[in-house]
Amino acid sequence: MSDSTVKYGLLAEFDTAADIMHAAEKVRDAGYRRWDVYTPFPIHGMDDAMGLKKSKVGWFTFFGGATGISLGYLMIWWMNAYDYAIVVGGKPLFSAIYSFPVAYECTILLAAFGSLGGMLFLNRLPRWYNPIFSSERFKKATHDKFFLAIEAMDPKFSDTETRKLLQDSGSKHIEEVRD
Amino acid sequence: MVIPPIWKKLPMILAVIGAVGGAAGILTPSLTKQFAHSYLLAFMFFLSICLGGLFLTLIHHIFDAAWSVPVRRINEHLAFLLPIMGILFIPIAILAPTELYSWLIALRTDPAAAHADHALHSKQPLFSFGGFYGTAIALFAIWTWLSYSLRKWSLRQDDAGKDNALRVLCTRKLRVHSAYGIYVFAFSLTLAVIMWMKSLEHQWFSTMYGVYYFAASVWTTLATLYVITTVLQKTGPLAGVITKRQRHDIGVLWFAFTVFYSYIHFSQYFLIYNANIPEETYYYVKREVGTWWQVGMVIIFGHFLVPFVAMLNQDAKLKLPLMIPLAVWAWLMHFCDMSFNIMPLIHKSGFSVHWLDITCMAFIGGVLSIVFIKYFNAHKPYPVNDHRLGEALGVHQYEDHK
Repeated sequence: MSDSTVKYGLLAEFDTAADIMHAAEKVRDAGYRRWDVYTPFPIHGMDDAMGLKKSKVGWFTFFGGATGISLGYLMIWWMNAYDYAIVVGGKPLFSAIYSFPVAYECTILLAAFGSLGGMLFLNRLPRWYNPIFSSERFKKATHDKFFLAIEAMDPKFSDTETRKLLQDSGSKHIEEVRD
Repeated sequence: MVIPPIWKKLPMILAVIGAVGGAAGILTPSLTKQFAHSYLLAFMFFLSICLGGLFLTLIHHIFDAAWSVPVRRINEHLAFLLPIMGILFIPIAILAPTELYSWLIALRTDPAAAHADHALHSKQPLFSFGGFYGTAIALFAIWTWLSYSLRKWSLRQDDAGKDNALRVLCTRKLRVHSAYGIYVFAFSLTLAVIMWMKSLEHQWFSTMYGVYYFAASVWTTLATLYVITTVLQKTGPLAGVITKRQRHDIGVLWFAFTVFYSYIHFSQYFLIYNANIPEETYYYVKREVGTWWQVGMVIIFGHFLVPFVAMLNQDAKLKLPLMIPLAVWAWLMHFCDMSFNIMPLIHKSGFSVHWLDITCMAFIGGVLSIVFIKYFNAHKPYPVNDHRLGEALGVHQYEDHK
């Protein structure tokens, strides 16, 4: 059985938020890159403890919004001043003022699409399956246990060294997860 | 960092120069009208910052916020400058029926003709002598009460020591005053700006005007707060309590109010533009004459686009070489904005900065700075006994339970 499966990584279990916070700091300082923390609730300060960099989602939002305002203005100009020129309320055929609300709504809409799409893209979602769910104990991650998983794909991963690091960090239970 | 002695004298120098210049303005008959408008401009500029301080204190308590605890004392002091503004209102009260408000001038010189003006007649009894002076007294009484109460209980908490019952009582009192205070604030600010700035053109209508002044006020206050906080951190009093988080969050709010202000001012313009009713459009027609057109463009691009793009990036809000010049820019923009509201009445052909504008700004700014520094030195620099101080300084929840 185990021959046909691939090693996914090591899963370490912790009892308290403080324990996992300090473990995350140790793993961060050891220089691991492909790892994550799973907790039943958000822990303030965990981003720093994990050394997470700022999200790049903002760039997707920005370019979504910039596209939105350009397309919005272009659409109104094309419809009202070019394709079917029509005078409304004595206003100019095209004006940045009267067409602003729609262009603005398009900005918001495409910025929101950019944020959502960018978030999914950067998180590599949607994804049907994560090998970590094969662990029975992992179900407690939504109840009262705190987990830290280091993937075998991480360049620094080594069966013995990584296990030792997690043990030194105070994990009560370490298991190997296979895909 | 130590403040050079010359900077410490600056508020006094400004107040004296401003007072001398202002006096010259009052005593020169040909300049009285200019002085009245320049003084009103400076008054509305600084009233923004005092009301903004009051607003930030109110929402701090209403949201039970943690991050703003270290800057709350600054806001409380800014708000408690409102009684001083009440005294500084006296020149406006004196000049209102002779130089400033056409409807008060009309009511004084020819009441019968004034009542023939339907736009004025239908605004009785608010737009009358009693209405003007009555609301001014009521407004300053309300603001004094609110800003005094919010500061009194906050200062009492500083001295509460380990008396937990008293500490809790102070927090509760602050919340009660804030809960009704936010409504009182909204109505009083709207009434004030209608009476003192919008009524310069009493025939004009805009339902956005109150919220427009509110948005501009809080925007300017946040720029001011950013500067005061940074100075007090760099020079010592707030060195230990202002973290990245405070600076970032002031920046975030400032950014939000950049958008909010633009949204409101655009909406006012847009509604009038679209409805195209002469009773409303004349206001903006006047403000597109000569260089007022360019001032309008400065407000669109300088009041909105420049700060919007500058602060869009998350990290930008922490960069002092960007944010401090931007705060100075914000003051300049608020000055242009207030000028755009007031000055087209006497400078019909275009924007101009009169030397009385500068002296009046120097006078009120100088006086308020002197009082603010006095307040700040007389009390603890931040609410030392606030229950959320630790949280504001980044003491994480998990550490509390160890």
